Amino acid sequence: MNDLAIHTQGLAKFFGKTRAVDGLDLKVPRGSVYGFLGRNGAGKTTTVKTLLGLLRPTAGSAQVLGYDIRRDLVAILERTGFVPENKMLFDSLTPAQLVRFNQGYFPKWSGELAGRYAELFEIPMQVPFAKLSLGNKTKVCHLLALCQGADLLILDEPSIGLDPVITDLLLRVLVEDQVSEGKTVFLSSHQLTEVERIADWVGIIEKGKILLETRLEDIRQNYRLIRAAAETAPAVSSPDLVAEQSSENFRSYLVAREAEDFAAMLSAKGMTILEISPVSLGEVFLGLTRKEVPCISGKPGTIAAPV
Amino acid sequence: MYLWKAWHDCRARIGLYILASVSIGVLCGLEAVTWANWHTYWMTLYRPPRAVGPRSVFLNYDFYMDITFSMLYRAVLQYGQIGVLLAGLSLGASSTGREYGAGTMNFVLTRPAPRENFVLTDWTVGLTAMVIIVSGLAFPLLPCLCLIHAKGPGNVLAGLPALWVLGAAIYGLSHFTTLVAGSASKGLTLSVATVLTYSFLPTALYEWWHTDALLRATEWTLRGLAYGSWPLSPFDWSVTAFWLAVAAGFLGASVAWIRFREV
Repeated sequence: MNDLAIHTQGLAKFFGKTRAVDGLDLKVPRGSVYGFLGRNGAGKTTTVKTLLGLLRPTAGSAQVLGYDIRRDLVAILERTGFVPENKMLFDSLTPAQLVRFNQGYFPKWSGELAGRYAELFEIPMQVPFAKLSLGNKTKVCHLLALCQGADLLILDEPSIGLDPVITDLLLRVLVEDQVSEGKTVFLSSHQLTEVERIADWVGIIEKGKILLETRLEDIRQNYRLIRAAAETAPAVSSPDLVAEQSSENFRSYLVAREAEDFAAMLSAKGMTILEISPVSLGEVFLGLTRKEVPCISGKPGTIAAPV
Repeated sequence: MYLWKAWHDCRARIGLYILASVSIGVLCGLEAVTWANWHTYWMTLYRPPRAVGPRSVFLNYDFYMDITFSMLYRAVLQYGQIGVLLAGLSLGASSTGREYGAGTMNFVLTRPAPRENFVLTDWTVGLTAMVIIVSGLAFPLLPCLCLIHAKGPGNVLAGLPALWVLGAAIYGLSHFTTLVAGSASKGLTLSVATVLTYSFLPTALYEWWHTDALLRATEWTLRGLAYGSWPLSPFDWSVTAFWLAVAAGFLGASVAWIRFREV
């Protein structure tokens, strides 16, 4: 059996001249929680839709649970639970009717689990979907995906509309009920705090290309942010350098490993090392994707560092 | 599953159509009986004791009944055409295609089933509804026709398949345009525009440029459905086959479209 739940090689999806996904290489290990991160329009939803056959790839190949997305789509869909970004289901049906509709498609559907999750998430099962709040709509989408006995859950912006209590509950359900059973969770989101809480792996996508794919533990243990000062910053290059930013006479370097060696190299080039600190997922994400442009007013201000 | 959902979505509408078609059928039946009684009364009143020659033909009871039957038959087919037109357009516009506009196509197409199954399910529900609606129009009329004429309901029954096939073609048009347009209202608009063009363009061409080829072609496609010639020839195989081919063409187009359509 293939050890990867999702494996893409040079996957591309173009809409005319727009390259929504541009040569994407993803490796999502089975049994992991994979945080697929990116800014708005980075290509996350396009990737998800391509993996599920809603869009046809322009180039490249992809396997989901070992099945080819072009040839074995029904087999993939039988084994994959999907929560779409827009959280839209049939307006005229109640959640109870949606459960009835959905269970017919999935041989491993668990009615008992559906009842328990409906109770746990406090879903009003007899109210038409159209009349539910956004949060309750999101809960129903999760309920349907969680009960179908899927080997892979693809969740596109899973916490939209959910309050912190239910978000916390959902994350626990994903880890305790799904991942503990050997299932894979692919979390497409830009909610970094949620991803950081449960993910084993992260992939950061920007303009359709994967910028970083690594274990979250690797970020915690090895990634470091080096802040240094210099009148004129020397040119530095290293395979460990992930991103660098400058602000007046200060520079920040995000390095993947061997931070001490990198700092020594900067010192040797005349820079003053101010700080070497561990980084959060948010800092890595911003380091890779931040736009270096001033705001409209141009007035100075201070915001808290990302978590 | 999807069959249940499709039925759930259109059952109220189908119920309404059945009620309307049965009502029209009952009204046509009552009209038939009234018409027959009126002729019977006048023929009894004015029938000469020893009618011979042309006058006997003119006042012949069977002749009047044939006329009555013919008029009724035309009424059924004309009401029936309006019925299948409205039902076909409406049922087709409430099919899978509208899921695009409703934002639920992601959900539908990520159910583990071949995409064409959704179209075939739509058609199963749509055509079943069409059969029920057309039958609802005709069957209340049958006892009345049996009552007033020895010929019985045979001709009317023979006309039903043609009407049903015409309805299937209109359903197919509306289903396909809804799928292409991705919304019920846009699909319905496209379908109505197509029907109106089909109905009026040939006449317009004839009036403006005296070109009657298209007019004759469209008249042929409605032969036996719009105005039966005398004597009645209610079932026309070639016309029925034409509409069947149109319906099958739309079904094929819808299947091809949903297979390749991206969401």
